[in-house]
Amino acid sequence: MRNSLFWPIIVAVGLAFIVLTRLYLTNEYFYFAGYVVLEYIVLSTAWNILGGYTGYTNFGTGAFFASGAYTSAVLHKMPAVLHTAFGWTVTPVPLPVMILFGGLVSGAMGLGTGYLSLRLRGVFFAIATLALSIVVQTLIVNWDFVGGSRGIYIIRPALAPLGGGYIQYLFTLMTLLAVGAVGIARSIERSRLGLGLASIRDDELAAEASGVPTLKLKLIATTLSGGLMGMAGAPLPYYVTYLDPASSFNLSYAVNSVAMPVIGGMTSWIGPVIGSILLGTIQQLATVTISSALNLLIVGVLLILFVIIAPNGIVGLVQSWRRKREA
Amino acid sequence: MPEAVSATQPPLLEVKGLGKRFGGFVALDGIDLSVARGERLGLIGPNGSGKSTLVNCLCGTLHNETGTVVFDGKSLNGLIAHERTRLGLARSFQLPKPFHSMDLLDNIRVPLLYTVNARPGHHHLSAAAITARCEELLTHVNLADKARRRPRDLTQVEMRKLELARAVATQPTLLFADEAMAGLSHSEIEEILAVLMRLNEEGITIVLIEHIMSAVMSFSTRLVVLVAGHKIADGLPQEAIRNPEVERAYLGE
Repeated sequence: MRNSLFWPIIVAVGLAFIVLTRLYLTNEYFYFAGYVVLEYIVLSTAWNILGGYTGYTNFGTGAFFASGAYTSAVLHKMPAVLHTAFGWTVTPVPLPVMILFGGLVSGAMGLGTGYLSLRLRGVFFAIATLALSIVVQTLIVNWDFVGGSRGIYIIRPALAPLGGGYIQYLFTLMTLLAVGAVGIARSIERSRLGLGLASIRDDELAAEASGVPTLKLKLIATTLSGGLMGMAGAPLPYYVTYLDPASSFNLSYAVNSVAMPVIGGMTSWIGPVIGSILLGTIQQLATVTISSALNLLIVGVLLILFVIIAPNGIVGLVQSWRRKREA
Repeated sequence: MPEAVSATQPPLLEVKGLGKRFGGFVALDGIDLSVARGERLGLIGPNGSGKSTLVNCLCGTLHNETGTVVFDGKSLNGLIAHERTRLGLARSFQLPKPFHSMDLLDNIRVPLLYTVNARPGHHHLSAAAITARCEELLTHVNLADKARRRPRDLTQVEMRKLELARAVATQPTLLFADEAMAGLSHSEIEEILAVLMRLNEEGITIVLIEHIMSAVMSFSTRLVVLVAGHKIADGLPQEAIRNPEVERAYLGE
C-alpha cells in the first residue's frame, strides 16, 4: 500500500465503520463492548510507539490513561464550580475538547517520563513507570476535588451530539481516536523518525554515533505515547458515569496494553490492532459467558504462550510463514 | 602554493590536557594530541592504557573532566555525541554494534538521514538518492549482495566492514577505527586495511586504535603510544616503538 493512500483509506474505513454500525446495530451492548475494544486499540498502539518502536517498556499505562480521565472529570466540574464561586455562567466543556486536554496533560506527563530515560534503561525504566502509576494514583486518592478514593459521579449530558444514544457518541469518538492513533503509528513506522526510534531500540550508543539525537527522539516517543493514552482515557468518566481511582488505575490497563502488542506483534502498526481486537473481544465474550474475573487469567496464559512459542507475535508468525513459502 | 598553505594549516584535531577519572582511578591524565588533516595516526598501548576511553571522550560517549578539544576550528566541549558526529567526527566500535533489527541498507540509511540530511546549509538528499548512496557504500565494502540481509547473517569480518561503512556514511572528516581488526585472520586484516587506506586516499583523516602491530606499522604515518593514561611517545612509527619507555611497557623491565 502506498504511503500517501494510507490516511484516506484508514479514515474511510473508520467512517464506514461508524455509519454501518449506526445503521445496522441497535443493540446497546454492542457499543458498550465495542468501545472497550476500540479503547484498547488506542492504548496498545500508543504503548507500542514507546515499547515496540523505541524499546522502552512502560508499565504505567494506568497513570496516563487515568490522568486523561481525571482531566475530563475536572473540566466536567468546572462550570458548576465557577458558577458557585464567582457567579459566572459557563457552558459545559464539549467532550472532544476534554479529549484534547486529556492528551495535553498526559502528554506532559509523558515528556517528564522521557527525561527519566536519560538515566534509566531497560528494566529500571519499566520499574520507574510502575512507580509513576502508584504515585499518580496516590495523588488522586488524596485529591478531594475529584472525590478522592470515594470517586466521583459524572452525569452524562441529556442529549448526545450526532444523534443516537450517548454510548453511540462515545463509540464514534473512540473509533476516530483509534483511526488517529493507528494512522500516527503507521506514519511514524515508515518515516525518518521511525528509523531513528528503531536505531535507539537496537543500540543507543551506535544511534548517537550515527548522528541520531536520541534524547529528543525518546522525548517525542514518550510524549506521543502518553498523550494518546490520556486521550483514550478522557471519555472514560462518561462511559462509566462513576470514576474512582481503583478502577481507572486498574492493573488490567497496564497488563493489556503490554500483552496486546506482544501477542499481535510489536514491530508493525498492525500488531497492536490485531492483539487488541483478538484479546479485547475474547475478554468481552468471557465477561458475558463465564465471568469477568477470568479476563486477566486469559491474558496471562496467552501472554506466556506467545512469549515462548511466538515472541514476534502473530505478525511475526505470518511473516515467517510467508518467508518459508517463498523459499 | 598549495604546499605552503597546508603547512601552515591548523591541525584538524587539537587535544589539550585531557583528563578522565573513574572514581579514584585516573584513566587519562593530561593528554595532548594533535592530528593533522589527511594523516593516518596509529594509537597503541597495552590493555587498559586508556585508548578506548580517549576515543569515547573525543566522540562524546564519555565526558572528560579536564582539557579542551578543538575539532576543525570548533570547540567540542559540552557537545553530545550526535552533535560531534554531525560536525564530521565518526567512529566505529570495538565490539560491532549493528542495528540488528534492520537490514544492511537501513543500517546505513540511519546515519545518512541523521547526519548528511541533518547538516544545516547542505543539499539534502532525496529518498532515492539516499538508497543509491547506501548501495554505493555497501558496494565499497563488498557487502552489496547482502543489502537486504540482517546483521546476524554476517561473518565477523563483514560485521567490521558494516561498522566502517556505517561510520563512513556520516561523511566524516576524521574517523576513529577502534580495533576494527581484532580477532580477524591475516587475509581479513588485509581487507580491512585496504578499505581504510582507500578511505584515507579519499581525504578522510584516520586514527587507528589497534593491537595488531604489523597492521599499525604498515598503516600509520605517525604513532602515539599510551601507557596507564599517559602519552609516552609520539612520532614516526619506527622511532616510537624503539623508544625505551615503550619497550618497557610492552616487554617489561
